[in-house]
Amino acid sequence: MKLAPLKSVDNAHDDSVWAVTWIPATSSRSSLLLTGSLDETVRLWRSDDLVPDRTNTGHCLGVASVAAHPLGSIAASSSLDSFVRVFNVDSNATIATLEAPPSEVWQLKFDPKGSILAVAGGSSASVKLWDTSTWELVATLSIPRPEGPKPTDRSSSKKFVLSVAWSPDGKRITCGSMDGTLSVFDVARAKFLHHLEGHHMPVRSLAYSPYDPRLLFTASDDAHVHMYDADGGNLVSSMSGHASWVLCVDVSPDGAAIATGSSDKTVRLWDLNMRAPVQTMSNHTDQVWGVAFRPPGGSNVRVGRLASVSDDKSIALYDYT
Amino acid sequence: MAEHDKEDALIRRLHESLDAHPDDASLHLEMGIFLWEKGKAKETKENAAEHFLISAKLNPENGDAFKFLGHYYHCVSGNAQRALKCYQRAVTLNPNDSDSGEALCNLLDEGGKENLEVAICREASEKSPKAFWAFRRLGYLQVYQMKWTEAVQSLQHALRGYPTCADLWEALGLAYQRLGRFTAAIKSYGRALELDNTRVFALVESGNIFLTLGTFEQGVDQFRQALEISPNCVSAHYGLAFGLLGFAKNCINRGAYRWGASLLKEASQFARACACIVKNISCIWTLHADIQLAYAKCFPWIDEIQELESDVEAFKTSILSWKKTCYFAARDARVSYQRALHLAPWQANIYADIAVTSDLICSLDNDHKQDSNAWQLSEKMSMGALLLESDNYEFWVALGYVADHISLKQHALIRGLQLNVSLAISWGYLGKLYRKMGEKLLARQVFDRARSIDPGLALPWASMSAECYKRELAPAEAFESCLRAVQIMPLVEFQIGLTQLALYTGHLLSSQVFGAIQQAVQRSPQYPESHNLNGLVFEARKDYHSAATSYRLARHAMNTSSCSVPNSQIRDVSMNLARALAKAGNAVEALQECEHLKKEGALDVEGLQVYTFSLWQLGENDMVLSVARSLAASLSSMEKTCVATSICFICRLLYSLRGLDAVTTMIVKMPKELFQSAKVSFILSAIHALDGHNDHLGSVVSSSQSFLTSHEEIARMHFLVVLGKLVKNGSECCLGIQSGVMHLRKALHMFPNSNLLRNLLGYLLLSCREINNCHTAMRCCKSDPPDLPNQGGLKLASDIHGAGSISCYAIGKNNSKLTFPTCAKQYHTSPKSIRYLQKCFRQKPWNQNARYLLVLNYLQRAREENFPHHLCVIINRLIFVALSNELYCKEEEYQQFQLLLCASEISLQCGDQITCITHAKKAAEIALPDDYIFFARLLLCRVYAMKGDLLNLQKEYAKCLELRTDCHIGWVCLKQLESRYQLQISSNAIDLNFEHSVKEGGNLWKMWMAVYNLVKGLLSLQNGDLLSAEELVSQACLTVNSESCLYLCHGAICMELGRQGYGSLFFSRAAKSLAKVHEHSMIPLPLAGLLLAQAEGSLGSKENWVRQLGFEWHSWPPEQRPAELFFQMHLLARQSKVGSNTQSSERSFKSSQRWVLQAIHTNPSCMRYWKVLLELTGCE
Repeated sequence: MKLAPLKSVDNAHDDSVWAVTWIPATSSRSSLLLTGSLDETVRLWRSDDLVPDRTNTGHCLGVASVAAHPLGSIAASSSLDSFVRVFNVDSNATIATLEAPPSEVWQLKFDPKGSILAVAGGSSASVKLWDTSTWELVATLSIPRPEGPKPTDRSSSKKFVLSVAWSPDGKRITCGSMDGTLSVFDVARAKFLHHLEGHHMPVRSLAYSPYDPRLLFTASDDAHVHMYDADGGNLVSSMSGHASWVLCVDVSPDGAAIATGSSDKTVRLWDLNMRAPVQTMSNHTDQVWGVAFRPPGGSNVRVGRLASVSDDKSIALYDYT
Repeated sequence: MAEHDKEDALIRRLHESLDAHPDDASLHLEMGIFLWEKGKAKETKENAAEHFLISAKLNPENGDAFKFLGHYYHCVSGNAQRALKCYQRAVTLNPNDSDSGEALCNLLDEGGKENLEVAICREASEKSPKAFWAFRRLGYLQVYQMKWTEAVQSLQHALRGYPTCADLWEALGLAYQRLGRFTAAIKSYGRALELDNTRVFALVESGNIFLTLGTFEQGVDQFRQALEISPNCVSAHYGLAFGLLGFAKNCINRGAYRWGASLLKEASQFARACACIVKNISCIWTLHADIQLAYAKCFPWIDEIQELESDVEAFKTSILSWKKTCYFAARDARVSYQRALHLAPWQANIYADIAVTSDLICSLDNDHKQDSNAWQLSEKMSMGALLLESDNYEFWVALGYVADHISLKQHALIRGLQLNVSLAISWGYLGKLYRKMGEKLLARQVFDRARSIDPGLALPWASMSAECYKRELAPAEAFESCLRAVQIMPLVEFQIGLTQLALYTGHLLSSQVFGAIQQAVQRSPQYPESHNLNGLVFEARKDYHSAATSYRLARHAMNTSSCSVPNSQIRDVSMNLARALAKAGNAVEALQECEHLKKEGALDVEGLQVYTFSLWQLGENDMVLSVARSLAASLSSMEKTCVATSICFICRLLYSLRGLDAVTTMIVKMPKELFQSAKVSFILSAIHALDGHNDHLGSVVSSSQSFLTSHEEIARMHFLVVLGKLVKNGSECCLGIQSGVMHLRKALHMFPNSNLLRNLLGYLLLSCREINNCHTAMRCCKSDPPDLPNQGGLKLASDIHGAGSISCYAIGKNNSKLTFPTCAKQYHTSPKSIRYLQKCFRQKPWNQNARYLLVLNYLQRAREENFPHHLCVIINRLIFVALSNELYCKEEEYQQFQLLLCASEISLQCGDQITCITHAKKAAEIALPDDYIFFARLLLCRVYAMKGDLLNLQKEYAKCLELRTDCHIGWVCLKQLESRYQLQISSNAIDLNFEHSVKEGGNLWKMWMAVYNLVKGLLSLQNGDLLSAEELVSQACLTVNSESCLYLCHGAICMELGRQGYGSLFFSRAAKSLAKVHEHSMIPLPLAGLLLAQAEGSLGSKENWVRQLGFEWHSWPPEQRPAELFFQMHLLARQSKVGSNTQSSERSFKSSQRWVLQAIHTNPSCMRYWKVLLELTGCE
């Protein structure tokens, strides 16, 4: 297993690129790369040459997160001013604008079936679920307040939710907060299940393994990548190697590897069997805010691709084998 | 080799002693130490350890053995446990043993046994106060455990043992810093830095303390040093940027935008460098954003204004680029805030920061379209802050600040106040809101509350100012309040408001206003109003060119402004521009402006005036008159203040174009109701005065004079009336000074403290040729107030004094030692006036008049003292400076002439004939009336006479006769020269001329006739014609019968005649005249008594002779008595001896011989005295 640099676009955006995701291929086209940046734009890129396809404007502040529907027809982007814009990938027509109270939108994820959009609710200490057909709020999964909170201590009473992830079967949602706690919810019953302990600094990214609905990977500012048994509620393994905050994590489609991006400006590939980094890419000159494996589907099923985006305004594409 | 031998010897000796005393512990120890230090091999060390072991066993109280054992276990055998025990033992035995102690603690530290370490150190430190190692260790541990108070004690104690340990000082500094004892902390860090100047920690931390204390400059210095040592130190970068930001904010609050901006630029570089080193710390990005935001808010608009003046496009580009800089800085700030937020989205204050920045960006963005229904970004972001921390009142205020909706604003501000009722800024904003809504009362109450909570808040003061102005009660108070607001916070709106208030209250000249409006222009170049007001301020400061430039910029700003500007404002600016141009002397452009306005039909009264004025300046007289006519036609419809200015303007214009008659006719034609103002009254009176003997305007003037109100005005009117009287009552060639003086005397009685009138009176008194007037003139003038503004044409008291003191002909005023004063007024002012003139000259070194008068005064004094060298030098230097410094204009040519004459006179007196001739010739070449040139020629006569150049003398004499003068003294001098050098051409040319000038000379003709006769008499005397001399002098005595000098002269001549045997008739004449001398002189004139005594004696009255001699004795100052007096006293003594008269005076005791001796001593050259002495000695 290894990564080979394919293509890199410098100055892909006017400013730091903060978010990246792949839009799955549809019958009419192959998959596209979607990036969001501090320059208030969202851009679409054609793989593998990273040809810019379109630039979407409309956000008033930097784009913090982007998400793509599993069918590949629609995508969503969220900005710091708490607007979520849902648009048609091919036509750029706005499908919906989801407005939340300020500071209550952070990361976005569509569920594996594509019927629900989960939004990490930032200061609301909850995850909001939006129905993708009616674009109405269907549920709010709130993190329960810890027992006996001290009324004066504000930081402990509200956990800012930074990240969210769906289990591959769509039954569970886990969200990560600024104090390092992870909360697991049962989607169907809209019920909080339990916390996952282990991090003590903000968890900015998490990802389930595509094969195992229990296996959860988390990236935290404490420079560690954790592997949890999400249902069992315990820490399986803690992997260290990054020199600074781990900002993003994604699991390869074959489930054998994970990729992480970090403030130490590197992208690392980890072998899950060895639980150790097998490769370190240092082509970025600034902290790496997003990594994304291309989901299977489309014409080139076998060929694995990894994209990474960074504060240095560039996008890099790697071949993953 | 020798050393080796020595060692061998030592070891042998040790072995021997050990063999001798195997139980001596100290010997074992010595052996062990020897081996330990010598051997490198393990075996030797082990060997040494055996000895230590034996020594320890033999003497378990010796700590050293245990120490070395500890070293052995630790280093050689690696048995930490045993080593620990040995060290522990060693420390217990000797708590001062720092080696063991340090080793023990290091071992414990490695094992992580912190508590044990503390316990051991504490024990050692309690056991011995000299266990400094223990205190040091303890101090470090306590610092590590953050027990700051205890740490301070331990560290202080440790420092007694290790005063040069920089680490200790640093740790102490940290402990103090954490305890909040910043000064002590700074000192400790400073000590650490003295010992080792590469300590980045101490530099950074002391820098941080300086920042905390608000002394940003010092902090910045510390951080800069730290960065030099460690260029990648993040905290130093951060601190430096932060310090610079604080520094810049201080600058900006004082209004130094440019300085602030340059500091911020530097700060931004450091913050960015810091962010490059560490990307993922949100507070660095926040700092960078703060810096950029401050930059956007303070970046001043500074450009080459002169270049922009004529080019609208350039102005537009300049404004745009300025705006763009601000806009980009704000954008940059927002981007950095976003980065910070992206890193730490749970930090509420970043939301608020983004909100405020977005608000600023909106205001800077031209193309920004406001959709009133949409959720504003700034509102939304401040809500975000509130969602995170809803009980933070500052966020509520921020929301209130950025919100657009009134109700939302009010709600937010009130919520803020609910959380913190003493939140002055919130009260302030609430007040502003209420004002906007029109709730005056509520607003005032709210503002009052804000002000009472925090008097250092600018907004309430501004509101108070607005309030005051609205009520029109006290504009001055409004100005004061606004000034305070501006001082607290240099905000553009306040500054513009301040300038507007200054316009109404007449404070435009105040430098505070100037500063404020300059700053306002820097921060809001796009507002036409700021340029316009700037122009007004310039105009008030008489800088008309800059004013015109500012008005032009204001117009550019109007043209480029996106929103529409009301027409009236455009007109105002154009009007201002035209006026400024006209004042600056740029009539052509002013005219263009006016014509442009005229086309638009916007030419108001002021405009018409400027228009007319410009036309007049360009010499378009026909146009001027037609415009003036239209101005006059509109008089009746004008406001009252306008009427006055317009009338004045028209009158002056007409006078300059058409002369006096036209003005008079116009005034007569005008309705009288228009003249109801002081201003008009002055103009009318002036014209009336100029009108001479005609009295067309008398009634109009007297009616208008009733509108004068203040004393000042009335005094000035009197001044004008006096000038009028001078003209009206004067003849063709001379002014009616006497009537002016009469009027002034009356006026001065009414306004005794009017310097204006006093000075005029002094001037007039000096101008009329009346004896003794000069003294009156000087007495009636008070000295000038020191801050007198320079009024062109008006005489100052210093001028009157200076002129007055030289205008008295009498000499001897200065120094009665030199001669006897003959001036009846006895006015000893000359030294005073010289000092006074010097004072004036020092106050205003550019005052040529004072210098000129000073020269004349000095010359007078020099003449009195017979031209002593030092005075001549002074005068020469003064004249040199006066002549070289200035190019004399027409009016001052007379002064130049006089100065040249003075220089010439001084050269003459010093014997420098060539210079004298050059100066005099130069003076003669100046284009002045013959009357004056005469004196230059006269001087030439004198110098040629001195040289003996008779040819030239004759020539100059002829020229003098040709030129003629009205000044009597000139003829007198010429007469003297004539008779002395026998220059006479026609027998009585001078006599005729003199009589002619005397006839025109007014009241003093008698005096002058007498003087002339006296001079003629003296000349006869010189020629030996005693009889005719007596005749002439007696004639002089008849003409003027009150001058003691004449009588004295006459008496002396008569005496001489009598002596030469012309009959005793002359003795009686002499006695008569000399008796009159006594009558008329105010001090006893010397010699008069002596002569009288002789006369009386000759007439046979011995008694009178004795009495008169007594008088004479007393009339001399003791040290100046002449020899003849002593001689006469000898006669008296003889007489008294003969007559056995027992007078009780001291002089009678002296013998006649002694009187003679004294006379000879005083004047040994007189043979008569010697003869008498011989006679006397012969008798005895």
